[in-house]
Amino acid sequence: MSDAPLLSLRNVSISFGGVRAVHGVSLELRKGELVGLIGPNGAGKSTVLNLISGSVRPTEGDILFKGKSIVGLRPDVLSRIGISRTFQNIRLFPQMTAFENVALGIHGKPLYSFAESFVRTRRAWRAEAEVRERALSLLELVDLTRYAKERAGSLPYGLQRRLELARAMATGPELLLLDEPAAGMNEDECGSLVELIRRIHEESSYGMILIEHHMNVVMELCADSLIYVLNLGEILASGSPREVQADQRVIGAYLGAKRSANERRRRRIS
Amino acid sequence: MILFMQQLVNGLSIGAVYALLAVGYALVYSVYNFTNWAFDAFMVVGAFAAYYCITLFGLPLPVAIGLAMLVTAGVAVSVEVGAYRPLRVRQAPRLFMMISAMGASMAIVNIVNLAFGGSFRKFPEISSASVELGGVYIGRMDLFAIVFSFVSLSALWLLLGKTRIGLGIRASAIDTVTAGLMGINNNSVAIIVFGVSGVLSAIAGVFFGAKYAVYPYLGLVTTKAMIASIIGGIGSLPGAVVGSLLLGVIETFVSAYISSVYRDLISFTILVLVLLFFPNGIMGAKTVDKL
Repeated sequence: MSDAPLLSLRNVSISFGGVRAVHGVSLELRKGELVGLIGPNGAGKSTVLNLISGSVRPTEGDILFKGKSIVGLRPDVLSRIGISRTFQNIRLFPQMTAFENVALGIHGKPLYSFAESFVRTRRAWRAEAEVRERALSLLELVDLTRYAKERAGSLPYGLQRRLELARAMATGPELLLLDEPAAGMNEDECGSLVELIRRIHEESSYGMILIEHHMNVVMELCADSLIYVLNLGEILASGSPREVQADQRVIGAYLGAKRSANERRRRRIS
Repeated sequence: MILFMQQLVNGLSIGAVYALLAVGYALVYSVYNFTNWAFDAFMVVGAFAAYYCITLFGLPLPVAIGLAMLVTAGVAVSVEVGAYRPLRVRQAPRLFMMISAMGASMAIVNIVNLAFGGSFRKFPEISSASVELGGVYIGRMDLFAIVFSFVSLSALWLLLGKTRIGLGIRASAIDTVTAGLMGINNNSVAIIVFGVSGVLSAIAGVFFGAKYAVYPYLGLVTTKAMIASIIGGIGSLPGAVVGSLLLGVIETFVSAYISSVYRDLISFTILVLVLLFFPNGIMGAKTVDKL
């Protein structure tokens, strides 16, 4: 096996109208690695995830997944080759049950044909049983087994977050993108979420990118790995939690140190 | 009492045909939020395909219906791929999709008219025999229409509710973008949705053609089905069925007990009144759910 990185962004930029949301971002992620992506509001963190998961297309640069460019692939194709994500504002299918939300993502290969779904061949039955089993085990992992038949939209907020995590894992990803999984959670909920994400990380071989505003969540989860700091669409710094926290530029970006004239110019219309 | 039962059966039989079309409207509406005005054309294609399968090739009725379903599904999918998908990809406003649908409808109907001529054709060789059931006579074709419609709609219901394909379609109906990110191929969903709606309209076309006549403008009846689906609660499949059966029964009763001249006037007045009391349609409370 080559040790090519699972994911690499090479000089990726995107502009919306005249605004450069992301500019010249490069980063690498290896299999099983968990990196944090932090930065002040509007720094372009979610846009980076949107670029990786195929919702938007970079205007410049290349994105490689397992050594191959994935720029321009449809989101459903990306999902099938192993990229999965959660959303900053939860995007479950609220009218469906928790079970259905998870079962939906389990695919991989065409398990059985359209016609077979009507005549119910043995193959179709077995495939359905496998899907069921896997969906239930994912619900168990996030501790939602007893809510399997509840409508996703009726679950409390914290549980919806967990459900979204289970749904993201259902697609069988190798790369899992988590967009502010702790958003809107209190200290207690954050604590159990950290536990859950750590367990997922330890038990799986997923590469994971974590965007988070709760600094203690990031610092705990990325204790032994890298944190990238994004500001004004560019990577400002990267390093261990300790290094990043001590970095004057990072502190400046968060606390609003005066921007240089140069930075202001770059932010403007390209 | 016998007359009442007789009219009820007649009403259900025409309502069943409306239901096939109304469910087609509701299905497309629930996933794509636009009214597919090309349904009338699909229905015409279905009726003509079945007619010629029987008259030209001498095929038995079930085979003819099967082939008509295939041909119509093909046409429906071509319209989706050729006329709707390019607009969807460019995220054009829904209104443009409806305009595009009207264009597709006129094009197809006129092609049929040019190719086969506008005359009225009697659907051949359908048994006019009736089955007697406690004094009520049910035409075999009517009975067949009721049963066949019911079976097709149940199959669709199972497909949507019990299979993974249905799960994908429902997910697409709720949030197309997220469904894509979860690995649902939205293009395949579109092909299935339009294929299924094509099949439903083909069945409706055959039954309608058999009951009245086969001609290029028989699709006009789809307007009634669309109204039925709105009465039932737009985008709701059970609503579409309920609205259609109701419309069919009201129409027949008005013709039988009042006057067939005033049939449309009276039945649609009733339906407007229904909408006054249920502005979201009868199953409107559930329309938030779609499907």
